Amino acid sequence: ADTTTWKVQSHWPGSSSSYEDSLGRLKRVIEERSDGRLKLDLYESGALFKPKQTFEAVSRGILEMGTISPSYAQDKMTLAGIASGLPFAFRNVWETAYFHQGLGFEQMLRDEAAQYGVYWATDKVYPTEMVIKNPINSWEDFTKLKIRSSGALQKFLTEAGAAASYIPGSELYPALDSGVVDGAHWGAAQGAYSMGLYEVAKYHVKPALNIAGTDVIIVSQKALDKLPEDLQNIVKQALDEQFWFRTNEYQYKERVTLAKAIAEEDVQVNTLPEDVQQRLTQTAQKMWDEEGERSERAQKALTMLKDYLTELGYL
Amino acid sequence: MRALTAFMNGVTRLNDFIGRWVALLVFAMFIFLLLEVCFRYLMNSPTVWTNELTQMLFGVYAIMSGGYIMAHRGHVNVDLLYSHLGPRVQACLDVFTSTMFFAFTLALFYFGYDMASQSVASWETSYSAWNPPIWPVKVAIPLGTGLLVLQGVVKLLEDIAIAFNLDYYKPESREAEQEDML
Amino acid sequence: MSIEVLTLLFFGALLFFLVLGLPLAFVLGGVSVVFLYFTWGFDSFFMVASQIWSTMESFTLVAIPLFVYMAMILERTGVANDLYRMMHLWWGGVRGGLAIGTLGICALFAAMCGISGAAVVAMGTIALPSMLERGYDKNMALGCINTGGGWGILIPPSILMILYALITGVSVGKMFAAGVLPGLLLMVLTIAYIIIRCYFQPHLAPALPPEERASWAEKFRALRAVILPIAIVIMVLGSIIGGITTPTEAAAVGVFGALISAVVYRKFTWKLLHEASIRTFKLTGMIMWILFAAHAFSAAYQSMGAQELIEGLMQMIPGGPWGVILSMMLIIFLLAMVLDPVGIMLITLPVFMPIVESLGFDPIWFGILFVINMEIGYMTPPFGFNLFYLKGVVPPNITMRDIYLSIIPFVLVEIVGLALIMIFPEIATYLPDLFF
Ligand SMILES: NC(=[NH2+])NCCC[C@H](N)C(=O)O
Ligand code: NA
Ligand code: NA
Repeated sequence: ADTTTWKVQSHWPGSSSSYEDSLGRLKRVIEERSDGRLKLDLYESGALFKPKQTFEAVSRGILEMGTISPSYAQDKMTLAGIASGLPFAFRNVWETAYFHQGLGFEQMLRDEAAQYGVYWATDKVYPTEMVIKNPINSWEDFTKLKIRSSGALQKFLTEAGAAASYIPGSELYPALDSGVVDGAHWGAAQGAYSMGLYEVAKYHVKPALNIAGTDVIIVSQKALDKLPEDLQNIVKQALDEQFWFRTNEYQYKERVTLAKAIAEEDVQVNTLPEDVQQRLTQTAQKMWDEEGERSERAQKALTMLKDYLTELGYL
Repeated sequence: MRALTAFMNGVTRLNDFIGRWVALLVFAMFIFLLLEVCFRYLMNSPTVWTNELTQMLFGVYAIMSGGYIMAHRGHVNVDLLYSHLGPRVQACLDVFTSTMFFAFTLALFYFGYDMASQSVASWETSYSAWNPPIWPVKVAIPLGTGLLVLQGVVKLLEDIAIAFNLDYYKPESREAEQEDML
Repeated sequence: MSIEVLTLLFFGALLFFLVLGLPLAFVLGGVSVVFLYFTWGFDSFFMVASQIWSTMESFTLVAIPLFVYMAMILERTGVANDLYRMMHLWWGGVRGGLAIGTLGICALFAAMCGISGAAVVAMGTIALPSMLERGYDKNMALGCINTGGGWGILIPPSILMILYALITGVSVGKMFAAGVLPGLLLMVLTIAYIIIRCYFQPHLAPALPPEERASWAEKFRALRAVILPIAIVIMVLGSIIGGITTPTEAAAVGVFGALISAVVYRKFTWKLLHEASIRTFKLTGMIMWILFAAHAFSAAYQSMGAQELIEGLMQMIPGGPWGVILSMMLIIFLLAMVLDPVGIMLITLPVFMPIVESLGFDPIWFGILFVINMEIGYMTPPFGFNLFYLKGVVPPNITMRDIYLSIIPFVLVEIVGLALIMIFPEIATYLPDLFF
């Protein structure tokens, strides 16, 4: 039978656990179920396209598949801000998972991406957490911090009173080591571990800054349509399963990695004091509304989110 | 013929003029980076805009340099064989290899234009914490590449003139000019 | 078409147009576009534009114009020349003294900067004229700048090491620590080479004639020349180590230092700034257009299935664990003749690392071998960034041939260093084991 080969551009570098766990898995599942009729060629972050260009390349159909963070598609996706995580909204990973799959946020994302010829499938939902060099025991400790951040979280941390600046990933380690910044977030425990951040920052901050669908698999609709129907179903089904499998597995690995960091690198968990959490939540809520202003869709998603959080008893 | 000469001189002057101004951006980059260090270290209040603005200036600076450098023969090549050839043979070779030059620069121009017009259509911003408009930097791609293409056309015309002994271009006038351009 | 044939055609075309004298940037870009057209179609040209946009967005490259600007100002103010005069007065009796001094400055530059291009351009501007003026052989002068300029990626901080760590998952801190001793080793070896060579062939790097040698008073007076450069070094290094700036921002501190020296030398004028800006623009632009095209080139090569080729090659490799390591080094060495380091990493490391680890080798140690090999690649013909950067700053009477020839002994010295680190892995692993 005919074999189709897809070029898949990852936004993960090879050492990121997700490269193997998410893309490696997806490749195995799809190649196995299609009896080798559909093959995926994986490319590490930046090989063909840089992360911020991958959505565009998939949208043009030059790439058949890719992985991104929603924030890399901000210019097209008005829902991207909400998808990449409003700070201090959810408190547990399952809540975010239910928001996506149970309440229909995932479908809203898929509808918006469809306008650009892209099939959107969130890879997993997971927390973004900070590591810092000195523990936060008071509000003052927090406002004294210099934090490496990016995107919406940078704005949030600045607004909350810390000194947040953007430093590219390639300079993060030396910056943290020498004290240019006292803290940073790069994913959560696994991200920090893979970047070696625990070597130079010994406190892992809980709770999460946000919990969100920060990793997304995108497929070119054109490429999908070219497949015979049974293959299309195999791909879509594999993507649907991927969300649940990876969300669950990621949490397991987070815990294992944090335990390892605690054992090997003397890392301590620094739980933010109650009053600090409260003040951060207040600042965060003021910022949420801005995301709703981007489009009618975003407004609808935000209303849905707020109703949901009220229902959960958080608002 | 006179129009041709005028066109060639015009393009070279245009590139030279633009280059001289864009070259000053390095000073701005220096100031902004230094400011950021001061803000962050001395006042503990890093800005959201300095590093990103520096980055954007750098992008424009780099892409706009193509035509200027070409006008000053600053793109390096391997002269192992080349330097042993006479000027007419060199010119013939250059006419031939210009196919590669145009393949690259025209592809870049076409898709750079595409990228820029999409960006302008949505007045694209960077969506960082600062969120500045990013479209002007994207516009610089077709602009900078366009200037390079023009200078490439000038170079091609020069080479044709040398190869076929045509009189719309005098190599000597060029040498003299280069001196005072630094 | 198989990837083997494609590879031959692709690199063959590169060499062909390079030899015909087309500037490197356009060779890389043009060949990429033509091959992309036949392997992937017209639409894939978007990749070229996209790679260029991403290069424009790379913050770490901002260090290039700034470090070059710093060098241009230092040169124009005369600080650089005074520095070399001082070295000559003090080291007057030592043959090759200026070359050794240049290597020392290169090592300092390497400790300030995580990339390699800026140092080559800076030293090519400052050191080369000074050495030639004092009767140094051009091959000696060119070669030592070329080799020392490459140390920026071996002596920490190093962007390449951070990328290596990201791709392979080793600790950045350990990589940085591992780079220190090999960096010193290469420096010692290179200096030893210069001393020995110049002992037998004094005309390559003449000592100051005895009658011109300075009195102690003069020597001490000349020492003033080092005050400013040393102050700049302390400012830049201190701001990185002291947690004041990132390595990229440190470049701005360097420019600040250069401007202060301009004021001290009473050379601070609008004209100086403008001229330095223009020269910086020309050099940075030249480097950037090469990088633009080089990134498009390695993306194009990867899209054709470069990794498949490496996988295939690894299956044919004979001869035990050391056979494997040596073959890997050879593959990297060959790729480094034509590709940029980041591209090589993306193509080879995913294939190499599992093998290296399964054979029980230390990935940190392998990383150092890899980085040194990249450094060698930076200066091996036909395609080595350092060679082209240097070509961009040298006076017109120095040809590419001169530059190509000048590097031969220095490459051999680096290969000796590489071999020593292979035989005595402790050179790389001692410090990381000590600190972590
Ligand atoms: N799972 C990961 N490694 N995620 C990395 C996230 C990096 C992202 N740029 C941040 O600022 O945090
Ligand atoms: Na360095
Ligand atoms: Na090379």
